[in-house]
Amino acid sequence: MLKLFKKTKDKIPKSEIIIEPKELKTPPLSKCGKPLLLDNTRWERRLHKELMSLIKEPPPGVTVDTESVQQNLSEWKINIKGFEGTLYEGEDFQLLFKFNNKYPFDSPEVTFIGNNIPVHPHVYSNGHICLSILTEDWSPALSVQSVCLSIASMLSSCREKKRPPDNTLYVKTCNKNPKKTKWWYHDDSV
Amino acid sequence: MDSKYEEFLKQQQNIAREVCDSTPLVSERQALICLKTEYMGDEVFIAKIEGLLKKYKYIRRTRPDGNCFFRAFAYSYLEYLITNQAAYHEFRKLAESSKDRLAELGFQRFTLEDFHETFMDVITRLNPTSPGEKEPGQLQSELHRIMNEQGYSDYVVVYLRLIVSGKLQEDAEFYQNFIEGNYTIEEFCHQEVEPMYKESDHIHIIALCKALRVGVRVEYLDRGGSSTANTHDFPEGLDPMVYLIYKPGHYDILYPK
Repeated sequence: MLKLFKKTKDKIPKSEIIIEPKELKTPPLSKCGKPLLLDNTRWERRLHKELMSLIKEPPPGVTVDTESVQQNLSEWKINIKGFEGTLYEGEDFQLLFKFNNKYPFDSPEVTFIGNNIPVHPHVYSNGHICLSILTEDWSPALSVQSVCLSIASMLSSCREKKRPPDNTLYVKTCNKNPKKTKWWYHDDSV
Repeated sequence: MDSKYEEFLKQQQNIAREVCDSTPLVSERQALICLKTEYMGDEVFIAKIEGLLKKYKYIRRTRPDGNCFFRAFAYSYLEYLITNQAAYHEFRKLAESSKDRLAELGFQRFTLEDFHETFMDVITRLNPTSPGEKEPGQLQSELHRIMNEQGYSDYVVVYLRLIVSGKLQEDAEFYQNFIEGNYTIEEFCHQEVEPMYKESDHIHIIALCKALRVGVRVEYLDRGGSSTANTHDFPEGLDPMVYLIYKPGHYDILYPK
């Protein structure tokens, strides 16, 4: 089982924040220009709260692509920087978070997207991530921020860049949604 | 992933969904004697049920979704509070202040707030001295409605889970003794307490009772040696306000005569 709880004890090297966090002055607009804040339901309220907090106080190296969120509140793109002093120093990655209306009771679907998928023993080359808090250890008290921190910590503690041993087979046969995978969590020594 | 395995997964999910769709989160009260038909022909269980029938009259069932202890506890304790004004107000204060204590323990404030807000909302709706002067019967049906509405019921379950996690972490030294294997208390909380649908063990019950200062009596209906159900009070020495029955893997609510 991959355990990533002692985030606070992991030494996260300092890294610059990519973009100055901007205040969202107006609520995000949906495609047709209607404010999403109107008539929103509980899961949307919760996502809004999380978004504001992530914009105001982003964890080091993490930035939300606010444009993507403005288009669609249930799909966020989040940029995450490889920390200095780790194997991923200087690399930029992008995560895609998908939420459904059962959030935060249902975990978000989280995958790496884009051209640069980190080479890591728990990350498949299609972007799927083997991390227990994304499925069976998910709790509604977790958040986008805690997921980002766990992923950052997972990358930071890596000692050898390699793909999971079953990468080829998995990528060929898996469902598009990583939550449909019954993960056998790899040990946490990596 | 081979297709057989995927099929198995799908099957598992379907079974889970069927269970959910067919059982209310919390049922109406049923005569306890109905348990006998469930265990027809099983002498050990029937003898124990006979014993329970001397002490208890009704049972109220909860959905077997892994949250049953928390849901049964919440329902039963709130049901106690709507007829006990003093205890209600004391609990309300305790619940109000619990958020800051949890935040101090390192829970993220805004996720905490979400659940605390709803938890307090539920408590407020069940105020036995509210100006609306609701009859006890009205409060009872309000409670039943709330606990069967997922949007409230699950929020209450989550908040109680956080309270348990908080208590375990606060008194980590004591609770560490209950944990097998190489788990730390923190890891145990993240894996076995905070996620929904994870089943409860003694350690969850003890922590919740102590944190909220609520006496719980559990009657264990299992295959254990004696001819009567084992009775256990949590924490020892406190008069029970909540009565539960444990059948292997599941908690329901009991009503004493």
